[in-house]
Amino acid sequence: MSAPESAPVGAPGGAPWDVVVIGGGNAGLVAALTARESASRVLLLERAPVALRGGNTRHTRNVRCVHDTGDEYTPGAYTYDELWGDLCAVGDGPADEDLASLTVRESASVPGWMTSHGIRWQPPLTGTLHLGRTNRFFLGGGKALVNSYHRAAAAAGVTVWYDRTAEDLEFTGHRCTAVVVSGPGVAGARERIAARAVVCASGGFEANIGWLRQYWGSAADNFLVRGPATNDGRVLAALYALGAEPAGQERGFHSVAIDARSPRFDGGIATRLDSIPFSVVVNARGARFYDEGEELWPKRYAIWGRNIAGQPGQIAYSIWDSKVNHLFLPPMYGPVSAASVAGVATALGLDADAVATTVAEYNKAVVAGAFDPSRLDGCRTEGLTPPKSNWAQPLDTPPFYGIAMRPGITFTFMGVQVTREAQVRTVEGGAFRNVFAAGEIMSGNVLSSGYLGGFGLTIGTVWGRIAGAAAARAAS
Amino acid sequence: MSEPDAAAPPPLAGLFAEADRQLTICNACRYCEGYCAVFPALERRRDLTSGDITHLADLCHDCRDCYTACMYAPPHEFALNLPAALSAVRRDTYDEYLPRVPWPRTRRGAMLAAALAALALLAVFGLAVGGDHGTGGSGPAAGSPYRVIAYPALVAVFGLIAAWSVVVMALSAARYWRATNGRGLTSPAALAAALRQAATLRNLRGGGADCSYPGDEPSAARRRLHGFVAWGFAACVASTVAAAISQDFAGDPPPYPVLSAPVLLGVAGGAGLVIGCAGLLALRRADGRQPVGGDSAREDPALARRGYALLAGLLLLAVSGLLTLVLRDTAAFGPVLVVHLAAVAACFAIAPYTKFTHAVYRFLALVHDSAEIPESLLET
Repeated sequence: MSAPESAPVGAPGGAPWDVVVIGGGNAGLVAALTARESASRVLLLERAPVALRGGNTRHTRNVRCVHDTGDEYTPGAYTYDELWGDLCAVGDGPADEDLASLTVRESASVPGWMTSHGIRWQPPLTGTLHLGRTNRFFLGGGKALVNSYHRAAAAAGVTVWYDRTAEDLEFTGHRCTAVVVSGPGVAGARERIAARAVVCASGGFEANIGWLRQYWGSAADNFLVRGPATNDGRVLAALYALGAEPAGQERGFHSVAIDARSPRFDGGIATRLDSIPFSVVVNARGARFYDEGEELWPKRYAIWGRNIAGQPGQIAYSIWDSKVNHLFLPPMYGPVSAASVAGVATALGLDADAVATTVAEYNKAVVAGAFDPSRLDGCRTEGLTPPKSNWAQPLDTPPFYGIAMRPGITFTFMGVQVTREAQVRTVEGGAFRNVFAAGEIMSGNVLSSGYLGGFGLTIGTVWGRIAGAAAARAAS
Repeated sequence: MSEPDAAAPPPLAGLFAEADRQLTICNACRYCEGYCAVFPALERRRDLTSGDITHLADLCHDCRDCYTACMYAPPHEFALNLPAALSAVRRDTYDEYLPRVPWPRTRRGAMLAAALAALALLAVFGLAVGGDHGTGGSGPAAGSPYRVIAYPALVAVFGLIAAWSVVVMALSAARYWRATNGRGLTSPAALAAALRQAATLRNLRGGGADCSYPGDEPSAARRRLHGFVAWGFAACVASTVAAAISQDFAGDPPPYPVLSAPVLLGVAGGAGLVIGCAGLLALRRADGRQPVGGDSAREDPALARRGYALLAGLLLLAVSGLLTLVLRDTAAFGPVLVVHLAAVAACFAIAPYTKFTHAVYRFLALVHDSAEIPESLLET
C-alpha cells in the first residue's frame, strides 16, 4: 500500500463518494448505473481518454442470455437448461456451480435491462454462423453500447473521470476508504479518492505479458492481445496484495485464433479468423494437431487460441481451397493464395513437402458426405489422427489459400472470488465489507478454461448489476 | 504474396486504395451492418473494384453512425473514418463523371462559364428585350412577371438552361452508371424500393439510432431538415408546374391569388427550403465546432464546402422567390424579380457541377442496391 500523500478527494461538497467504480467497460458502466439508482454520489474511473473509453467492451458485439421465447432479434427460445448445458460443455465447465447458475438465471432479465438503458439491437450479423438464436446483437457493436451507457450515465447523474488509472485501494480497518489513482487526469503523481464503497470492474491482466509469462513461460511472448494494452491487471494485483482470494485457473483465458499479422494490442474482431472449420490447420512443422470440425464454431472458436498456444512457436496455419472461400468472414489482411497447396505453404514460409503430404493424407482420409456448413454435417475423415469430424472436404479446387494464426487473448479468467453479493472474498475466509467485483476480474468464478461466445457480456451485466446494487447498500 | 492473375483489375490507388483498406476491415467486422445499406452491400462483395467503391460511396448517406460506433476510429492505429473516406470518393467521382470538354478544363471554370452564359442569355434575350407593360391597360397585370420579362422569352431562356442542366447531369449519370455496373433501372420493384428509401431517407435513420450529427450525439434533426429541403424543392417545382397549367390550360395568367395552387405550393416550398437550408447550415456550423473522436474531420473538406454552397444557393433561391411574392405589389417587385430570375438562371446552369447532383447519384445507388436484394427481402 502506498503512503497517502494528501487528503483524499471527495465528491463535490467534500463528503466521500458513495460508490467509486473502477473501470469503464460494460461491467463498470452497468455497476455505476445500478448504484446510482439508490446512491447519490457515484463516480466512475475510466483509464482511457474519451476516444478510447470502454476497454474490452469496445470489441464486443452480442450477449448470450436465456430467453424462453423468440423475438425479431433472437428467433427461437434458448432455455436455462440449454444455456447451462452449453456452459458445462466448454472447457472444464463452470468454475463455481452456484455462482455460474446464478449468472445464467439472472441473464434472462439482461436484454430488457439493456434496452431500458438505451441499448438498441440489430438482427444477427451476416456471416456469424449459429449465433442467431442464442445471442442478441446490439446495434453498432460494443463502442455504440459504451456510448449509449455513457449517455444514460450522464442523464442519471453519474460522474465520469477519464485518464484515471486506479493503482491501489486504501483501507481503514476492514473498510476500504479511498482509491489511489494516477494518470494524465490527475494533477500530481497520485490522487486519493475518498469512497464509501468500491466496485472493481477493471478487467483481467491479459495485456500484462510479464504476468502471463509466470504461467505460460516464453510462449506468452508470442501471444497477441485483442483488447487495449491498458488491461494490465493492476487492480487485481492490488486486491491480491490486500488479501483477496484468487478465483479461476492461472492459465484460464478466452483466446481465439487471430491473424499473425495483427497488432500486438487492440486488434479486436477484425483480426479474427473463422476459416478453421472449413480448412486444414497445420503447425510450423506442417502437421495437423487438432480436429478442425469438432463442434459448431461458436462453441469451439474459443479453444483455438489455446490450441495454437500449445504448438511450437505459438503459430499455426489455416489452409483452404476456393470451394469454401465464401463461407466465413473475409480476413482483414487477406489470405495468401497460390495454384497449389505447396505454393501456399511456401508463401507462408512452411516446408512445402511436409504440408503437401499432410494435405494429401487428409484428402485421402475424407469420407464422401453431404457438406452443409449450417449444421454438424458428419462430413469426416476416416483413419486419420487427429480426425476432422465435420465439414471435411478434400482440398482440391485451386486457388488455395492460407493464413498464419497466433493466439489472440481476449481476457484472462483468473481473478478474485466473490460472494453472491459480488463482495470480494479474502484468503482469511471472510470478505471485504465494501469492495465488490464485476466482470472479467471475477469471471474465474464462472468460467474455468473454456469460453462461450457472448457470455463475457452476460457476466459483466449480471454482476455489474449485483455489484452496483450491493455497493450502494454498503455505502448507506 | 498472391500470384498474379491475368484477369485481375488494376490495383486501386489513392482515395480508392484508402477506401478499400478501410472497407476491407469493415467487411471483416460487420458491427455496423444494422445502420444503413452500405454494409450489407459491402458484404455481398469480396474483392472491391473502383466501381464497387464508388457505388458504396454514393449509397452512403453520411449519417456517421459507423464512425461514432467504430472502435477502430482514430486514435486507433487502424484509423477508420469511413464517412471521410467515402465522401472523398464521392467528391472525386462527382468531378470524374462530368462530361469532358476542351475548355474550360476545371470544374470551377466550367461553373463560371455556365453561370455567365446563363446570365448573359437572361440579360440579352430576356431582360434587355423587356417585359410587356401594355398600353391602355391591355398588358399583364401589376405583379405579373411578364411586365419584367416577356413570356416567350422566359420560356425560351429557362427552357434552354434547364435542358442544358438536365443533359449535363444525364451524361454524368450515364458515366457513373457504367462505371458502377449499375442495374435495376428496368425493375419496377427496385425503382419503387429506391423511391421509397429516397422519399423517407431511410438510410439516415441509422437502424433506429438516427444520425450521429452534429457531433456524435444521436439526432433526427438532419433527416428532418433534409426532408424540408427535398420536399420544399419539390413543392417549388410543383408550384411552377401548377402555374404553367393555370396559364396555358386554364387560360389564367399570373399574378395568382394567395389561395391558389401556384402561390400556396410556392410559399410552402420556399418556407420548407428556408427552414431546411437554414437548419442544415446551423447543424453544419455546430458540427464543425465539435471535437469528435480525436478531432478527425468526418467529411471530405472540399465536399463540405460544396455542401455549404448548395445550401446557400438554395437559400438564395428560396428567399428571393418568397420576396417576389411578398413585394409583388410594390415598386421593389421588378428589381427583386430580376434578382430571383438571375439566381435561378445561374443556379440551374451550374447545378450539374455542384453537390446538387448527389440526389441523382444517390438515387441511382439506391436503385442498384435494391436490384441486388431479392425482391422478397426488399423492405416495403
